[in-house]
Amino acid sequence: MSSALAETAAAMPASAPPLLEMSGIGKRFGAVQAVQNLALSVQPGEFVTLVGPSGCGKSTLFNMVAGLDEPDPGGILRFKGRGCHARELLGRVSFMPQRDLLLPWRNVIDNAILAQEIEGANRREARARALAMLPEFGLAGFEKQYPHQLSGGMRQRVALMRTFLFERELLLLDEPFGALDALTRSMMQRWLLELWQHHRRTILFITHDVDEAIFLGDRVLVMTARPGSVKLSLPVNLPRPRDPALLTSPEFTALKREVLDAIEEEAMKSFMASA
Amino acid sequence: MSRATQRGLLGAVLLLGSWEALARGLALPAYTLPAISDIILATWQHRSLLASAGWYTLAEALLGYAIGCTAGITLATLLILLPPARRVVMPAMLAINAVPVAAWSPLVLLWLGIGMASKVAMVALAVGFTIFLSALAGFDRQDRRAADLLRSFGAGPIALLFRLRLPAALPLIAAGMRVATVRSLIVAIVTEMLGAQGGLGWIIYQAVVQIDFVQVWSAILVASVLSLSFFGLITWLEQRIIFWR
Repeated sequence: MSSALAETAAAMPASAPPLLEMSGIGKRFGAVQAVQNLALSVQPGEFVTLVGPSGCGKSTLFNMVAGLDEPDPGGILRFKGRGCHARELLGRVSFMPQRDLLLPWRNVIDNAILAQEIEGANRREARARALAMLPEFGLAGFEKQYPHQLSGGMRQRVALMRTFLFERELLLLDEPFGALDALTRSMMQRWLLELWQHHRRTILFITHDVDEAIFLGDRVLVMTARPGSVKLSLPVNLPRPRDPALLTSPEFTALKREVLDAIEEEAMKSFMASA
Repeated sequence: MSRATQRGLLGAVLLLGSWEALARGLALPAYTLPAISDIILATWQHRSLLASAGWYTLAEALLGYAIGCTAGITLATLLILLPPARRVVMPAMLAINAVPVAAWSPLVLLWLGIGMASKVAMVALAVGFTIFLSALAGFDRQDRRAADLLRSFGAGPIALLFRLRLPAALPLIAAGMRVATVRSLIVAIVTEMLGAQGGLGWIIYQAVVQIDFVQVWSAILVASVLSLSFFGLITWLEQRIIFWR
């Protein structure tokens, strides 16, 4: 059982092509080089977390993978082994932005099925499917509630449900728990891992929180200060399912030390650059 | 009865009471200010005349309001879907809107005659601009992140319009529609004063010519009751439909 998933992911490059592969990717906004010479790859089924100093281009990277921004010419972007433009990824990647962005005029169910509705799915069938999923997302009985009637944690779960119901192999989660209090956050983390193990999707997850990155990921990517690129790719060979007790284990602490050192170095760089 | 309602009623009673006292105490002539009791009595005596005039004006206002709202929202939607057209159309629209609506009425009367059509057209013009501008402002207020999210789900311009921009614009459209209720009756009545075959504005004009000032006040009373009811109805609907605010 121990680190079975991490081993599968590590063993995969030989057999299956990466789900997502980027190399030499750059993106400039006017005078600002947000991302430069960025390279990363994500294996099918892998849970990859991404940490880095603020303003390091994490969101730029996400917008490119979601298909919202086109990288500057010259880089290589491959999805499922085929080279493509970023805009071709629109509608092919399940994207969850930082804010829940629930539509206030839609109730829980109708917010959850938004993506399927846009795909042209039958609304009644989509609702029925979403209704059956509510208990798994801790939202049983809340289907008729509107976003302004929900707590922050519940809103985030509705947004996650919307992301999961948009059935794509790759899920992009941009600090989904950033706005939650520590207790709700740690519960949501464990719940997300269960969900991921049950649904077998590939996840790329942005966070500010190093504990969160290590606790969740098969692999932690640390980004450099702007212009952003991947500084460190650190495999997390901790057993799954992961238990909160892990957070205080020596193995965890050792990994954390390594990630923090890398971040610290970058944070100093960006601090010196701005000072 | 809530405290707010009590206070509101108290204010109304005080206002009407001092009006009555002032008119009677100073024995003001009717052309200055008739007593409120006289106005109410005269309104009751001429109720069938005033009721039919009220219906006439209300019909003009409602029809013009409906046309104006539809045209305003449709035009704003089209300009949102075709941003280049917006830059062409907006300066002309703002220039037309800068002219006070009443200034168009002699021309509109000339073109459409003194029947109902000219009033409906004037109301539609006045309401249309109000709604058009508030709808545009509402559409512009869309959240770019939410639009990005929908695009990442594969939404095109039409899906974005109906699933995001239109609902997001509704609060401002509704606020415009609320303000436009009162405006629609004002414009109908003013246009009637300039030439009509019926309606409250026509009654007011005739009453002034016949030096019947109590009748003028009766028509004003009916007009304000209509105006308040229309305003109240739209406000109630707004609270029902836009529950999420």
